[in-house]
Amino acid sequence: MSAKNKSKDDIEVLQEKLQSIKGREEIIGYILRGPNSASIDLKDPTKIVDYAILSATAFEEGQNISAMFEIGEVDSIITEGEDTKIMSMVVNDHCLSIFMEKNVDHDKLCKNLNLT
Amino acid sequence: MNKDAYAVALRNALTEIKNICPDVSRSFIFGKDRQIVSGDSETDEETMEKMISSFQSVAEKADTIGSLKAFYVNGKEGKVILSDVNDMYLALAASENADTTYLHSITRVIIVTVLKLLETITSTPTPPIPPQSAPSKQLVVDTLSGFFVGDSVQIDTELLEEWARFLRESVSEVEVEAFGGEATLCKVKEINDSKLKGKGMIRIPEKICKTLEVKKGELVTVKPAST
Repeated sequence: MSAKNKSKDDIEVLQEKLQSIKGREEIIGYILRGPNSASIDLKDPTKIVDYAILSATAFEEGQNISAMFEIGEVDSIITEGEDTKIMSMVVNDHCLSIFMEKNVDHDKLCKNLNLT
Repeated sequence: MNKDAYAVALRNALTEIKNICPDVSRSFIFGKDRQIVSGDSETDEETMEKMISSFQSVAEKADTIGSLKAFYVNGKEGKVILSDVNDMYLALAASENADTTYLHSITRVIIVTVLKLLETITSTPTPPIPPQSAPSKQLVVDTLSGFFVGDSVQIDTELLEEWARFLRESVSEVEVEAFGGEATLCKVKEINDSKLKGKGMIRIPEKICKTLEVKKGELVTVKPAST
């Protein structure tokens, strides 16, 4: 299997896992953005644009901050609001943002999704 | 409290955080108005401003999650933590092994405590300075006798004027205290006998001398009754 196909399979596996967690009450949804396409699944579709902009900005500024403080390649970015948080990370060449309630243990969620 | 003192207090707090958590390499605090409040010496102002700009950029888009409370960037060689503390934001750079939860607790406790303390100091009105008492004087007793001595003691004009300047009012009564502890309030006048002026004397009617249990030549302590 070529590296490209392996990566594609990994993303498909990830999408399946994302589908399995999205039904959980404390999970608000996710955005998985690849070079050519994006999968978006949010419980409140009216917030898609807002969430997409926030997710993209978090990635961009996370990279900037990483360069400023020389902390190396970014593993994950956590954006916390009043009662919601976003966990963002790059998986293969895809940008993944999972939106959830603030009380969710995102480290545990990462393990469940095999993202660590 | 001026801004410099505020900044110094917070800088000391940041130093303490570094002492407690050696994983912390850099730290600074900025306000919601994007102004740098305090920072360590390792982080230059340009870096702080860039960081604030990045944070602001995310904050502007964060209304959808109910305003930005914290932003964590976890890198392979370290992590950067931005979190709100009271009405300010604390930025920390730490090693990759730093325990974020522990760090968060420590910083929150220290910074919040210092901020509360500073607020208390700032909001506590300075207690009014109590008016200073006019200094008491030790004077030598001279007795006044006769029908018309009245019930006033007599002391030097200079001393009465000195007390009046000090108290910003004329002195009409004095408290006279003997070394035995007896004390009394008396009306006071200037010494009218020019030969006795400027000798550090107090002329006391005999009746009052008896009350005070003092005799001619003894020392008494005298001070204005208004204090």
